[in-house]
Amino acid sequence: MRLPAKEKWLWLVPLIAVLLLWEFTAGYVIKNPLFLPRFSAVIFSIYVLREVLIPDILVSLLHFGIGLALAFAAALPLAIGMGWSRNIFKAIDPIIEILRPIPPLAWIPIAMIWFHLTHYAAGFIIFIGAFFPILIDSYTGFRDVPKVLVETGKVLGCIGNKKQIKYVAFPYALPSIATGTRVGMGVGWMCVVAAEMFGVSDSGLGYRLFQKFYFLHQMDYVVAYMLVLGLVALCLDHLFRHFVEDKLLKWKKGIVK
Amino acid sequence: MNHKLELRNVTKTFNTEGGEMEALEDINLEVKPNEFLCIIGPSGCGKTTLLRLIAGLDYPNSGEIILDGKEVIGPSPDRGMVFQEFSLFPWRTVLKNVEFGLEIKRVGDKARREIAEKYIELVGLKGFENCYPYELSGGMKQRVAIARALATEPAILLMDEPFGSVDAQTRNILQEELLEIWKRTKKTVLFVTHSVDEAVYLADRVAVMSARPGCLVKCLDIDIPRPRKRTSMEVNEFREKLLMLISLERSKACISV
Ligand SMILES: Nc1ncnc2c1ncn2[C@@H]1O[C@H](COP(=O)(O)OP(=O)(O)O)[C@@H](O)[C@H]1O
Ligand SMILES: [Mg+2]
Repeated sequence: MRLPAKEKWLWLVPLIAVLLLWEFTAGYVIKNPLFLPRFSAVIFSIYVLREVLIPDILVSLLHFGIGLALAFAAALPLAIGMGWSRNIFKAIDPIIEILRPIPPLAWIPIAMIWFHLTHYAAGFIIFIGAFFPILIDSYTGFRDVPKVLVETGKVLGCIGNKKQIKYVAFPYALPSIATGTRVGMGVGWMCVVAAEMFGVSDSGLGYRLFQKFYFLHQMDYVVAYMLVLGLVALCLDHLFRHFVEDKLLKWKKGIVK
Repeated sequence: MNHKLELRNVTKTFNTEGGEMEALEDINLEVKPNEFLCIIGPSGCGKTTLLRLIAGLDYPNSGEIILDGKEVIGPSPDRGMVFQEFSLFPWRTVLKNVEFGLEIKRVGDKARREIAEKYIELVGLKGFENCYPYELSGGMKQRVAIARALATEPAILLMDEPFGSVDAQTRNILQEELLEIWKRTKKTVLFVTHSVDEAVYLADRVAVMSARPGCLVKCLDIDIPRPRKRTSMEVNEFREKLLMLISLERSKACISV
């Protein structure tokens, strides 16, 4: 979609308005940096914190990466099985439905006992958070492969589960896998922060935000880290859209947009 | 290129909720080499079922289907099929769709491309190689499906009302093109339709089916020379004859109920 230059920058106007509103309310109405730090103070904090900020981001991304990669690696084969075979679905679905409603954060004690204070402990919570969205969406994709496409494949010599999955089901399910992964990434990022906050880690954005800044009531630092958390998630989502959805799923254009 | 298809005493019953449903009863049919045979019958008389049996996508309850002396036991690229509904792989371009069967057969990149290009040109879609299915009209989609079915050089081409969902004008053009393709490739074609006009325009021979249970009631040779004119005397006369036969069958069926 190509917008005229004017519309392209439209989003900037409300954004700047909100930031100005924040700055003035904090500075001239509330006048209490503990209650609400000024925007300019927060930006300055980001600058002050630059030395710890980058390692914290990297540690959080490491937790996130471990969790997401494991979730993807575990969910995808399971999704293929459950979506492709009615029997595998019937066998496994009850277990999934029992585990799925347990909030990822409820797993924190288990994570601590199993993995102690390693990166894997936080990774485990993210794994739990990202696993189910990836599984459910991907499995739906494999389940809904139209019969006529499978049969077209068969008539053209694509016979046997392995080939049918590779040549027909997998490409068909790819958009669903992408959607699931994107949702899983969102949930996973929430889990990063929560896991680090509640002590499954002794580093990372969430750990520093809660265990250090909040306990010292340095609210400008807290809000600075909040902003960074949001921005990192935004970047991850954009990267995903750029590299996966726009490149891999060109053929969906006619259906989606 | 002398392929022969034979059906001997083929019957098919479906187990439905309301009990057994006899879809095909004692079908005997011989499709001669290089012949263009149309099967005509009302909706629900079992035309699709018959083609699916020949394609190997379903199995007869008794009787046998023999292609070139060998019994059909499953789908294989030696029987190409064009489905009634649109069946292109939406994630593949026109070229990649046509290449599909060759890719499965592990034909090398270059040879594959050459063959695909040849058939794309044959169906008049040169220049559309890199389009995705969503960019094509209904008629173009079915042309791609025809090219794709031909690319693996099947002994026989099975077509299940392939032009059923395109507009009348396009259908006429597609029929002409199909005849041209048939002349050039010297394929044996088994073409299912419910349209008398279509059968009389296309076929060397037309087999009439009646419903419940589906059986072949009569075969008629159409020895009108090609190119046929849709409005010529001979064509009209034949159409009349065929319509009479069909309505006679329908009334017989009513009496016997
Ligand atoms: N898989 C199936 N299970 C049960 N009944 C079926 C199945 N496939 C087709 N039928 C029934 O068989 C009959 C013939 O169907 P079909 O071959 O699709 O007819 P046509 O293609 O001539 O319209 C119909 O009554 C249909 O309901
Ligand atoms: Mg049909």
